[in-house]
Amino acid sequence: MIMRLKDCHNFGDFRKLAKLKLPSPIFHYIDGAADDEITYARNTSAFDDVDLVPNVLRGVENVDLSTTIFGKKLDLPFYLSPTALQRLFHYDGERAVGKAAKKFNTMFGVSALATVSVEEISSLIDTPKMFQFYFHKDRGLNDSCLERAKAANFDVMALTVDTITGGNRERDLRTGFTSPPKLTLSSLFSFATKPMWGINYLTKGKFELPHLQDFVKEGTSTNSSIGNYFSTMLDQSMNWKDAEKLCSQWGGHFALKGIMSVEDAKKAVDIGCTGIMVSNHGGRQLDGSRSPFDQLAEIVDAVGDKLDVICEGGIHRGTHMLKALSLGAKACSGGRLYLYALAAAGQPGVERALELYKSELVRDMKLMGCTKISDLNRNNLRFRK
Amino acid sequence: MSLQNCYNFDDFRKLAKKKLPSPIFHYIDGGADDEITLKRNTKSFDECDLVPNILASVGKPDLSTTIFGKKIDMPLFLSPCAMQRLYHHDGDKASARAADKFGTFYSMSTMANNTIEEISNISGGPKLFQLYVHKDQSITDDLIDRCRRSGFDGMCLTVDTLVAGNRERDHRTGFTTPPKLTLQSLMSFALHPSWVFNYLTHGKFKLANVATKTDKGTNIAKSVIEYINEQYDPAMNWKDAEYCVKKWNGPFALKGVMSVEDAKRAIDIGCTAIMISNHGGRQLDGSRSPFDQVKAISDAVGDKLEIILDGGVRRGTHVLKAIAAGAKACSFGKMFLFSLAAGGQQGVEHLLKNMHEEINRNMVLMGCKNLKELNSSKLIYRTSNKI
Ligand SMILES: Cc1cc2nc3c(=O)[nH]c(=O)nc-3n(C[C@H](O)[C@H](O)[C@H](O)COP(=O)(O)O)c2cc1C
Ligand SMILES: Cc1cc2nc3c(=O)[nH]c(=O)nc-3n(C[C@H](O)[C@H](O)[C@H](O)COP(=O)(O)O)c2cc1C
Repeated sequence: MIMRLKDCHNFGDFRKLAKLKLPSPIFHYIDGAADDEITYARNTSAFDDVDLVPNVLRGVENVDLSTTIFGKKLDLPFYLSPTALQRLFHYDGERAVGKAAKKFNTMFGVSALATVSVEEISSLIDTPKMFQFYFHKDRGLNDSCLERAKAANFDVMALTVDTITGGNRERDLRTGFTSPPKLTLSSLFSFATKPMWGINYLTKGKFELPHLQDFVKEGTSTNSSIGNYFSTMLDQSMNWKDAEKLCSQWGGHFALKGIMSVEDAKKAVDIGCTGIMVSNHGGRQLDGSRSPFDQLAEIVDAVGDKLDVICEGGIHRGTHMLKALSLGAKACSGGRLYLYALAAAGQPGVERALELYKSELVRDMKLMGCTKISDLNRNNLRFRK
Repeated sequence: MSLQNCYNFDDFRKLAKKKLPSPIFHYIDGGADDEITLKRNTKSFDECDLVPNILASVGKPDLSTTIFGKKIDMPLFLSPCAMQRLYHHDGDKASARAADKFGTFYSMSTMANNTIEEISNISGGPKLFQLYVHKDQSITDDLIDRCRRSGFDGMCLTVDTLVAGNRERDHRTGFTTPPKLTLQSLMSFALHPSWVFNYLTHGKFKLANVATKTDKGTNIAKSVIEYINEQYDPAMNWKDAEYCVKKWNGPFALKGVMSVEDAKRAIDIGCTAIMISNHGGRQLDGSRSPFDQVKAISDAVGDKLEIILDGGVRRGTHVLKAIAAGAKACSFGKMFLFSLAAGGQQGVEHLLKNMHEEINRNMVLMGCKNLKELNSSKLIYRTSNKI
């Protein structure tokens, strides 16, 4: 049976279609995580340890899903996390994702390792944009990223702090995933069996990392593994002072991405952050680390009134978002929730995914007896143990 | 499949399975009864989570720790395991050399195929001897004296093997030592000709350290179970243990302590360490896992003796969790035995290199500069989830 976009009704379906379309090293780069992928699995299963308790008879014909984070009103209570190398997943890459985000008026996160430049993205969309920053050893490169994002009118800067060194992604070790893709004997077969991907990759413009390429060879011509990039290019001595300096240099809304402890969340307030993304990088870094949802309540209790707390990772369903929002997150975000859809069908794929999540949210809000995000609170939840 | 493609426990296990005759593979891989404790030993690590700190400018973390009076370069070492000549023809020599190279402990089982003297000649690295109390006390005395003369650093007395566990896989495969060719095992040995060739051409199999004292380990094909039941003293008590501690008069651990109460008694008889262990799930099925128990024990006695967690360790993060819960170091058996079977000394080195890298990477991701910083505040148990 042939699978098409219209056969995709949930996260699992998009994943299946993406698997059909992508050469296997690329699919596993998206799909994989660190070590035994226990944290990756927990990120989603954590939502199952708590149940929603609905209220009835509340008159719920009009549901407003909007939320305000980083001073911007979004029509949806979730946004698209910054992810690297999107043109490997579909030849339109960030262009497709950005335009879909614009259509739904939600925020689009652009990675430092994006394959389309911040300038081009800002010429395509005028809706809220986040630039994700990696702290490189090369300070010239850091300044350039920051200045370009500022000039391109990005609304938020997010500094990723959980990739001090590369995670142990064993699937990538086995498939030999590098960027740009290198043809080894073992990967050749997989690329050969997905000819459409190969044709599009080779004919729809050169593969580039526009934010890095003036500074490093890792950006473009040589094949480098992502783990290698983290371990050799990023500054492992990065500390709170560096983050504070960056925050003031940026001078606008600033988030740390990858906060997991209450202690660090408080420090984020002190250095002037206006938001934090509670995240373990989708389980791709430290396996055995706590899931964002498990850790959310403590963090919200400590700093929820001082900055925007975002719950990121493991989200596959509207109800997952309702649970996180009930605990006190201002919004949710995710990577794979739109990446499989991108690989499956480009912009129409991402749009279909966003439409599905949106209609799930509307339906679930009604079933919960809520008409706006601020109606959700901890009375809606019961933990099992 | 080759050593280069081995990244984790399953990979080493798979390669070992390919190389070993099946009775021998199952002797390593199996546990007691329904193997519930065997599985739980690893599973228990998944019920709590690490909480990293960010922006800590860790640089190159210090992974060293001190146990048995020796500073070792990483908080993980090789558990004492019997009869390593069966898994690779270089046996204990391979393990000892690999551990030496990575600056960590090699442990020798009473039931090793190399002598205490042979190993101390080839390795100047940290060495632990594992003692069983034999019914014939002169055997025990002899072992302790020889270890002292040969410069072993520490001694551990295994206390969870008074009788042999019910290893049902061994019943089925007919595992004996030295290997006996039964009809059912013949097929498997025939299918692994290079193992048989190496086994037959690399010197005689014997339980080297007890060979002069008992013929039981050498000539007669014995099942390990029969050996344990005949030779070890099931009446062993705290007095006997204290006798060994005094006689050794150096860093000493009880291996197989599982209760807080027994941990306290270990201090009273002069132990400097305990190894929290259920023998890798090979003895009492349904017993508690070391990781489930480590926090309670460390809260009670962690300031008075060194706590070593033994059993179920497969990942760098398991080591990190054990240390955060109060252990000073971990040890592992099956995982290194599979790497030994997979590639001899090279195999064990490949494994130790992997584990060293994992521990290092995970320390960096945790934002910890040394093992001291890895305290209980970095670990959250899921059951504490409440609102
Ligand atoms: C393929 C892929 C690439 C990613 N690239 C980046 C990146 O360049 N920068 C970053 O901060 N996070 C990156 N992430 C992490 C995401 O921003 C996000 O934290 C994660 O995907 C959330 O988990 P989820 O996929 O379960 O939603 C990436 C994730 C994936 C799956
Ligand atoms: C094949 C094998 C032989 C063993 N022989 C001994 C031994 O002679 N003496 C001993 O104290 N423990 C022995 N053990 C137990 C180990 O020292 C250790 O407690 C156990 O393997 C730890 O669990 P793990 O395999 O999950 O790491 C043996 C374990 C295995 C797998």
